[in-house]
Amino acid sequence: MAKSKEELLQQLSDCVFEMEDENVADAANEYIDAGYEALDGVLKGLVDGMNRAGQMYEEEEYFVTDLLVCSDAMYNGLEVLKPHLPLDQDADAVNYKCVIGVVEGDTHDIGKNLVRIMLETAGFEVYDLGRDVPLISFVEKAKEVDAQLICLSTLMTTTMPGMKEVVEMLEKEELKDKVKVMIGGGPISQAYCDQINADGYAVNAIGAVTLAKELVGMA
Amino acid sequence: MHEQDQMTPNERLQAFIKGEKMDRILAMPILVSISHRVAGITHREKRASAELQAQSQIDCYKRYGNDLMIIEYGLHGVGTALGSEMNDPEDSLPAIVNHVLQDLKDIDQLDFDKTKKENDPWFAKTLEACEICQEKMGQEIPTGVLITGPFTAVSSIYPTENLLRATRKDPASIHRLLRLCTDALKDIYKEYIQRGIIIVMCDPIASGTLLRKSQYIEFVKPYATELMNHIHELGGMCCYHICGNTTKIVMDMVDTGPDMLSIDNLVDLEYVKGQVGKRLPILGNVPPVDVLMLGSRSDIFESVKTCILKGKDSPKGYIIASGCDITQNVPVENIDYMMEAVRKYGRYPIDEALLNDPATNN
Ligand code: B12
Repeated sequence: MAKSKEELLQQLSDCVFEMEDENVADAANEYIDAGYEALDGVLKGLVDGMNRAGQMYEEEEYFVTDLLVCSDAMYNGLEVLKPHLPLDQDADAVNYKCVIGVVEGDTHDIGKNLVRIMLETAGFEVYDLGRDVPLISFVEKAKEVDAQLICLSTLMTTTMPGMKEVVEMLEKEELKDKVKVMIGGGPISQAYCDQINADGYAVNAIGAVTLAKELVGMA
Repeated sequence: MHEQDQMTPNERLQAFIKGEKMDRILAMPILVSISHRVAGITHREKRASAELQAQSQIDCYKRYGNDLMIIEYGLHGVGTALGSEMNDPEDSLPAIVNHVLQDLKDIDQLDFDKTKKENDPWFAKTLEACEICQEKMGQEIPTGVLITGPFTAVSSIYPTENLLRATRKDPASIHRLLRLCTDALKDIYKEYIQRGIIIVMCDPIASGTLLRKSQYIEFVKPYATELMNHIHELGGMCCYHICGNTTKIVMDMVDTGPDMLSIDNLVDLEYVKGQVGKRLPILGNVPPVDVLMLGSRSDIFESVKTCILKGKDSPKGYIIASGCDITQNVPVENIDYMMEAVRKYGRYPIDEALLNDPATNN
């Protein structure tokens, strides 16, 4: 008997959550062949699985390695579903864009990558500048792509002042109201965020998503 | 010898090992990334020359009277010998920009002969630096080498994030890489041990922050154990350090058989003492950033005091150290304060009243 939409959505979600990055494409094809909407497959299937994985990470049941493989599964599924997404979908919907990177002098990028994955899961269009990123590049990229949000990551106390500089550059260019700045990483705190006049701080990748949505006014 | 000490570091370490009387507690702050600052040169100058690497360590010892000089083979040596590319910053620690292995299918193309001292100028340079330290100061103070453990060695060949994924997706290939790295490291360690150098094995990518316990047991423990056995067969000595939170794996780390265990400041010294203090000496764990870099003189005194209070009665002995390598942004005077505090609170016989008095921080 053919599977119901709910069953197939559950299957997509489970593939991501249970790290079955090789079976997810089959599950996605099965879902499309059954004639169900791709958008639901993404949001109620793949993204749901990734959110469950994120929850487990927060509870320290899942580790970094697990989240990385879950995200591979999500992206594999997306590749199948994307071509089936309705084209006019973006026509009047707002495209939330965000620039992310690790500030100059710091090469720790594992945490930043997790934040990027979770932001993409949440529907942000993410421009990842990588690690050890010259400070001016954040501002330039944000201007170029018209981003609403800049996400700065660092794990080192020595490179923290770079975050302040980015905020100041935005102020100087009078972009501070237009582009929000979210910061995070080991030594960062809410107190530091307030001190440098950034717009928000989150302690982990899950918190980062909630905060990012808030900052850009995403429903 | 430092003017306020009564024994040389060699004499102190010998007494420690034999359980004899010492003038003060042993102190081994990890003065690697900061050493060029003490010598008044740039990081690039230090890493370009065996003489200057050695001199930076000697300058640290002359100033602080710490108990171990540490030459840096580092975390990336195996990868760079094989072809991983590093950047070349003027005055900070280099990082890998391009890993030599991008696809696990290409493992066979790696030529591990390149990691031998004849073929790797960096390795040869650090050996020369060790020889200089031994020749000039060997009578007085031991020298160690800060060198990668097996898992971090793999991360210098293959990008860390892909390595972490592959522990789930392609464990067989990761075991192959670990096999190759372990064999290469055996030959590398041997050269240092033959020169009388203590192996300070650091494996930050095996951190409890990144790997779960079962992964440590599968991917790190067997190889680390093999390396420890090898070190002991050659008559060498090993201090084992993993960065970050290793609370859940301390037992397993000690099972690998190191001679000493160094712990990060994210781990509670009291807990580690309870778990493994009966089995080996413990080093730790003055916070390098929150205390040594950002703290005041009195914060540093307080932290040293707390460490000594927690560690002093560890059954197999306690050595005060920093929780991790001390970065170049730590003010050099702060290490003076740390050693001053060690000489105040760590002088034998330990003055319990002084140690327990809350108002003695200066
Ligand atoms: C792995 C590691 C490395 C690896 C990095 C590999 C890589 N590709 O990233 C290697 C070995 C290369 C490395 C090198 C160094 N390291 Co290191 N490293 C670590 C270690 C063990 C784990 C870091 C990690 O990946 N954690 C896991 C991730 C998932 O967590 P996370 O990054 O914190 O991210 C989470 C949150 O912070 C948050 N988040 C992160 N970014 C953002 C951004 C935003 C916008 C938001 C909202 C949230 C957010 O969400 C993430 C997911 O939940 C830590 C120890 C520790 N206690 O953290 C030291 C540590 C970070 N390293 C440290 C140091 C000093 C160094 C070196 C300078 C070595 C030295 N001693 O000289 C070099 C740096 C070279 C350079 N210039 O960059 C120090 C930093 C001290 C400080 N506070 O300044 C630490 C804390 C170790 C210590 N105890 O001293 N390191």
